[in-house]
Order: sequence, then C-alpha cells, then structure tokens
Amino acid sequence: MEIGSFIKLQRVKKGMTQEELADGIVSMSYLSKIENLRTEASPEVVSMLCTRLGIELNSEKDITIKEKCEQWFNMLYVVNDKEMIIEKYNELNELLSVVRSDSMMLFEIHKIRYYLVLGQYDNALEQINSLNEVSGTFDNLHLFYWYKFKGNYATLNNEYNQAMNMYKLAEDKISQIHLSDSEIADLQYTIAVTHSKLLNTLEVIEYSNKAIDIFQREYNFIRCAQCHILLGISYRRIKMYEKAIKHYNLARHLGELNKNNTIIQLTNQNLGYLYSSIGDSKEAIKHYLGAIDDESVGLNERLIAITNLIKEYYKTGNFEKALEVIEKAKKILELAKNNVFYEVYYYIIHSYVYAINNEYEQFTTLVIENLIPYLKKHKDHGNLILFTNMLAKHFEEVGRYKDSVKYYKLANLTYEEIVNL
Amino acid sequence: MKKLFASVALGTLLMGGFLFMQDNQSTELAHGEAEPSVLRASFTSPINLF
Repeated sequence: MEIGSFIKLQRVKKGMTQEELADGIVSMSYLSKIENLRTEASPEVVSMLCTRLGIELNSEKDITIKEKCEQWFNMLYVVNDKEMIIEKYNELNELLSVVRSDSMMLFEIHKIRYYLVLGQYDNALEQINSLNEVSGTFDNLHLFYWYKFKGNYATLNNEYNQAMNMYKLAEDKISQIHLSDSEIADLQYTIAVTHSKLLNTLEVIEYSNKAIDIFQREYNFIRCAQCHILLGISYRRIKMYEKAIKHYNLARHLGELNKNNTIIQLTNQNLGYLYSSIGDSKEAIKHYLGAIDDESVGLNERLIAITNLIKEYYKTGNFEKALEVIEKAKKILELAKNNVFYEVYYYIIHSYVYAINNEYEQFTTLVIENLIPYLKKHKDHGNLILFTNMLAKHFEEVGRYKDSVKYYKLANLTYEEIVNL
Repeated sequence: MKKLFASVALGTLLMGGFLFMQDNQSTELAHGEAEPSVLRASFTSPINLF
C-alpha cells in the first residue's frame, strides 16, 4: 500500500482535517498531493506525519502483522466461534493503529466481511462508505476483496442483481492476481448462490460444479455439501427429481459425517419442498418434521420449515395436526419477536389459524390488509400465489364471485410474472 | 426538426431510465427453497426473508 494512501486512510480514521495534519510540517496543498499520490514525500516528512498520526514505522513488525492478518482473514471463512474472531480482530486493530503495515488496507477491506459475519450490517455499510474515499488507490488484490465483500453486503440485503454485478467485477480480477484455489472456489460458490437466488438455474449448475471440484480436492466437505444443496435446488427446478434427491442425499451424508446440523436441517427443508412440489405429502411432512426440531439452527430456518409443515398439513386437510404444529410455531415465533422476519411469519401463521378455525372475517382482513401488501412489497411470488388462491377460493365458496375473480386474477398475474422471470 | 430531436432525446432518456431501474431493482423471490449462506458454513440464508 502506498504511503500516501496510508496517510490519508489514517487521517480520515482519526477524524483529522488536512489542515490539522499538515500544520507546521508541510503545506496543505502538498499534503493533498502526497495523499493523492501525485508526489513522493521525503522520508523525514513521512516520519513527521506518521508521528503526528501516532503511527510507528517498523518493517520487522510488519511481517508478524501480515501473518496475523492472514490468520484472521482465514477465520472469517472457516471459524464458527465469533468470540475467537472478535478477540483476534481487537488484537490486530490495536496493533495496526500504531504500526504502519502493508496489510493495513486489506485489513480495512476485510472489516466489511467481519461486520457481516457478526451481523452488524450498519457497521459494514459505514466501513464501505469510509473506504469509498480511498478506493481509487486500490490495487487489483484490494479490488478483488472490495468487490467481493461489497457483493456480500448486497446479498445480505437481498439485492441480488447488484451483488451479482460486484461478484462479476471480482471474478474479472482473478486473472490479474495470484489467489489460492480455495479463494477462487469460494467466489465461484458465492456466484452460484446468487444465481440460484436469481433463478438462473444453468449458471448455478455450472458454478457449483466448478467450485465443488476444488472443494473436493481441498477436503472442504461443508462447502461441498453446500454445493450439493445448490445442485439439488437447481435440478428440482428443471424437474430432474432423481438427480436432485441424489445431491440432497450427498449433502445430508456430508452434514452427518461432519456433525453439521445446519446442513442436515437445510437438506431436510429442501427435500421436504421437493416432495411437496411433486405431490408426495407424506414424504414432504417426514422431511419437514426433521427440519423443525433442531434447536441449534437459526430461528428463521426453523420458522421456514415449520410454516412449510403447516402448509402441507393444511393442503392435505389434516387440520388437527396443522393446529398442533401452529402451537409449536407460535412458541418459536415468540423467540423471534425482535427479528426483521417476525412480521411475515406472524401473518402466515395467523392466516392459517383463522382459516382452519373458520374465522373468515379475520382471515380476509389479515390476508388483504397485511399479508398481500407485504408479499407484493417483498416480491414473494410463491406465497402471493398461495394466499391469493386461498382467498379467492374462500370468496368463491361464500358466493362473493366478484372478489373471487379479483384474487384469482391476481394469482394468475403473479404466476405469469414468475414464468416470465 | 427540433421536435424530432426533442422526442428522440426524451425517448432515449425514458429507455435509459427504464433499463437502469430494471438493472437496479432488488429481486426478492420466494421459491420455497433455502440456499446455504454466502458467509460461513453454519449460516443459512433463506430466500426473501432476512
């Protein structure tokens, strides 16, 4: 990292103006030239500026810092213990605030991923904004991670088109820098996930296969399992069910071998959906049941599985079982009260409660005033079709044909939208 | 002639705006399936719900 960019980054981080830093050392315009790499400052000037910034220039320490940084970067991909990541981060942050190191900029860029891993999305955005100022001085390696982590941020904000643009920019950098195979595979896997969210099925298969080749060579079984899940989803979408089941079973096998409950739960959830989509409710219920009981997986994942189970029982007319599961779902929902996804699950679960208990007024009010607007806003086409159809059917049964047609029409339009995607 | 230029310019602007919007709209689709997370192995990121 160039000394000028380093000085600028440190100055911005410490909240100093150019005037304050330059005062008595160089003119403000000269400092601006140094920072923007339009001139090279003498070692004396650099030393004085660093002293004012409270930075030590020590090349021996830099080697240790580089090693420590690499260990920490790696932790962001493989370590599940957040405490360990935070501890290492604090150590590095302290060290890098007083010693000038070439790893400084990479560390700053990796902070974006660090905040995302910790679920601190606001901090991640703040870090992106503060690095925007110096992004003009990034080299190709910096740019690779810069694009990748900005893509990660967009992914976690459900902005998949934007995420894909970022990942493609990162991919373009691969040929210009030296990266390990596992780093390349991780980007390919990330691209595969994003294609899957955008329903680009063939691309998912292409990128998952590329990534899985490397993950297998590197014995990264968890990522292999995740690729198998992506392949399972893709083959289900193109109706190659046997192949999809084969990939799901491989994923589950790897999850069991590695005692990874998240993989097992995810496989059950997706297998449940596959059997539900081919009309095999018995198998679907069996897999959904396997997906809801594990308390070690996230609340959102458990709520997805449990609402799918309610849908399946409702579909098969087993209302008694559906109500039993609803009670369980309400308990999980209580735990998720402060989460962003609480609202939608609340609407879905209560819609079923009202529908099963024949409380039609509450049912229609909730679906029309809350659920449908929410699903439209979030472009949740699948649920939109399901609930508009349910509503239309109800209106048809009570003879309100005009309302019934209105919602059947909405369901049809939504369906067409999915087909055209 | 001026009118022609004005309408061509307006058309281009509208088309540009439309393409920009298409490119930048967020896509949150529910397909009932849940993909694994782009972050670490123990996380999952279900579609459309975050």
